[in-house]
Amino acid sequence: MGAKKNGRFEARFTALREEMEKVIVGCRDVIEELMTCLFSGGNALIESPPGLGKTLIVKTLSEALDLHFSRIQFTPDLMPADIVGTNVIMQDDMGKRYFEFQHGPVFTHILLADEINRATPKTQSALLEAMQEHAVTVGGVRYELEEPFIVVATENHLETEGTYSLPEAQIDRFFFNSRLRSPGLEELREIGRRTTTTFSYTVKEQLNREEVEEMKREARGVEVESDVRRYASRIVLATHPTHETATDTVRRFVRYGSSPRGTQALTIGGKVRALLDGRKSVSPEDMRSVAKPSLRHRLILNFEGEAENIDPDDIIDEVIKQTPESGA
Amino acid sequence: MSDEISKVIVGYKDIIDNVLTALMSRGNVLLEGVPGIGKTMLVRTLGEVLDLRFRRVQFTADLMPADIVGTNMISQDEAGNRTFRFERGPVFTHLLLADEINRATPKTQSALLEAMEEHSVTVAGTQYVLDEPFFVLATQNPIEMEGTYPLPQAELDKFIFKLDVPFPGLDDLDEIIVRTTYEEMPPVDVVAKGEDILELRKLVRQVPIAPHVEDYAARTILATSPVSEFATDMVKRYVRAGSSPRGLQGLILAGKVKALLDGRYAVSCDDIDEMAHATLRHRVQRNLEAEAEEISPDAIVSDILEKTPQTAEAA
Repeated sequence: MGAKKNGRFEARFTALREEMEKVIVGCRDVIEELMTCLFSGGNALIESPPGLGKTLIVKTLSEALDLHFSRIQFTPDLMPADIVGTNVIMQDDMGKRYFEFQHGPVFTHILLADEINRATPKTQSALLEAMQEHAVTVGGVRYELEEPFIVVATENHLETEGTYSLPEAQIDRFFFNSRLRSPGLEELREIGRRTTTTFSYTVKEQLNREEVEEMKREARGVEVESDVRRYASRIVLATHPTHETATDTVRRFVRYGSSPRGTQALTIGGKVRALLDGRKSVSPEDMRSVAKPSLRHRLILNFEGEAENIDPDDIIDEVIKQTPESGA
Repeated sequence: MSDEISKVIVGYKDIIDNVLTALMSRGNVLLEGVPGIGKTMLVRTLGEVLDLRFRRVQFTADLMPADIVGTNMISQDEAGNRTFRFERGPVFTHLLLADEINRATPKTQSALLEAMEEHSVTVAGTQYVLDEPFFVLATQNPIEMEGTYPLPQAELDKFIFKLDVPFPGLDDLDEIIVRTTYEEMPPVDVVAKGEDILELRKLVRQVPIAPHVEDYAARTILATSPVSEFATDMVKRYVRAGSSPRGLQGLILAGKVKALLDGRYAVSCDDIDEMAHATLRHRVQRNLEAEAEEISPDAIVSDILEKTPQTAEAA
C-alpha cells in the first residue's frame, strides 16, 4: 500500500464530507465521526435533542454513497419482527399455502434507529444482535446482511419518561458515541436560508459500495507501532478507578472504566485518522482525536459523578493529559 | 484444545481451562465479568474448535420462556388440515451463551435452567430432547444491579462453576488490539468433535478416587456450613448457609478432569483444592456481616482450604 493510495483515501473522504456539507450546516465533528465509524466498520450512537438534523445527516450520507437507507422510529410497541422481518403465510396458484420470509427494514446498508431507548429491551437487543452479527435469524434460518452495514442509533435524553435506557453492556457495542450540539447564531441563520427559501440541492453520489468496502479494508491495513498501540491500552486502563494509573477524577467519579472495545475504537478510529493525514501508521495524536467518541459512552459514573453532573468528556481530557505517550 | 482456543482468545488461560473442565464434567458455567471482555468470543471459539453448533441469547427483562425453548405454531398441510408445528427455540443447539442472564424475569431464567438441568424441554406436554453435548455458559455482569433479577441460590447451585473474569492487564489489552484491529482472526482448527466430548465425559467418570480424597472433599463441603462440626471460625462468623451436595459432585468431577489433564489416573487432594474456588464461591452464602465487611466468598473458601486437614486423622 503506497503513499499514493493513502492520498486517494483522503481525497475520497474529503469529497464525501464536502458533498455532505452542501446540505448539512455545521456539525463537522459529527459528520467526520460518522464517516470514520463507517470506514472502521463500526456502528454509531448519536446523542442529540430532537430537530438537529440527525435523520438528514444519515440520509445525506447514504445518498452520497449510493447506499440503501432505512429509518426505524423506535416506539414502546415496536416488536423484534418489525425490525428483522417475519415469515408470512402465502398462497400459490394451486392454492397451496407456504411460508415466505418478508425482509424487515434491517435489510439495508445504513440503518437509522431513531430514539432507540423508546423500545422495549427485547426489541433493542434484536437490533443490537443484527448489528453485531451482520445477520439475523428468523424461524431457524439465518439471513446475512449485505456489506457495508452500519447502524446509526440516536438516543434522546430530554424526554426520558417511558423510555428504556440501554444497559451498559449494550451501549458498549457502539463503536463511537457522537454528540450533536445545538447550532450557533451563524449556523442557525444558514439553516434558515437553506430550508425556508427555494434553495435545493441534489446530493451527488461520491462513492459506490465497492469503494466503501475497499476503504474499509485499507483502513484496517494501516500499521500501528507497538508503542502507540500500548498508548491506547494505557489510556483505557487509566479510566479504571482501581487501576494504579487512574487519574484523580477517575478515582472520584468513575464506577467502571472502558472495556477493551474502547481500545479497539481508539486504534481503528486512529487508523482512519492516519490515512486522512496521508500517513501509513497511527500517531498518538490520531488516537487522541478519536478519544472522546471512543470512550465517553464507556465510562460509567458512580453516584457522586452522576450527582455532580460530571461530563465524561472532562474526565477523558484529564486522562489524556496525564497518560504518557510512551512508557511501560 | 486449550491451545487452539488461545489462538483467538487473549489471556484467560485458567478461565479457558475451567470452562473446558466444566464441559468434560457435564456441568454448566456462570461467568461474571464486565461487558466487552470477550465472553461471546470465547463460546464461539469453543464451538468452532469442537465443531459444535453455537447460539447466543441476549437476556432482557421482557424475554419470555418461549423465546428460549420455542413455541407451537399453527400450520396447514397439503390436505388443508391445520396442525400444530413446534418451532424450535435457540436452546436447540450444543453451546448456548445466555448473555446477562440476570436481566430476565425469574420464570424465563428458570426455563433455561430447566433445560440446562434436564437436557430436554417440555412444551405443551411434549418432551423434546436436546442434542448432546449440551453446554450452557451464562454470563452476568456486576455492573448495574438496578433492573436485574439476581439468580436465586437454588438456581445458582445448578452451575458447576462460577468463574470471575478479571479485566485484562496492559499486555493482554495490547494483544487484543493486535488480534482484532487488522484483517482477519486466525482460523482455528477443529481439534475434537461432539462425540469425542461424550467419550471424554464417560472417561472422566471412570477416574477412580481414593477414599481419603473422597473424605477430604466431603469434609471441605461440610466446612462451608456454619452449623457443621467442621466449620471454620470464619464460616461460623460470616456464612449464612453452606454448599449443597451439588458442590461435592462438582468438586469430585472437576478433580477427576484435573487429574486426567495432568496425566494421572486418580484424584488427589490437591486437585480438589485447585477446583474449590470455582466450585464453591457461588455456593457459600454470606451473611449480612460478611457483606458489610466486604469479605469475599473467595476469602472464605481459601480459609476453609487452609484449615481443613487433608487427612481425617489430623482432624
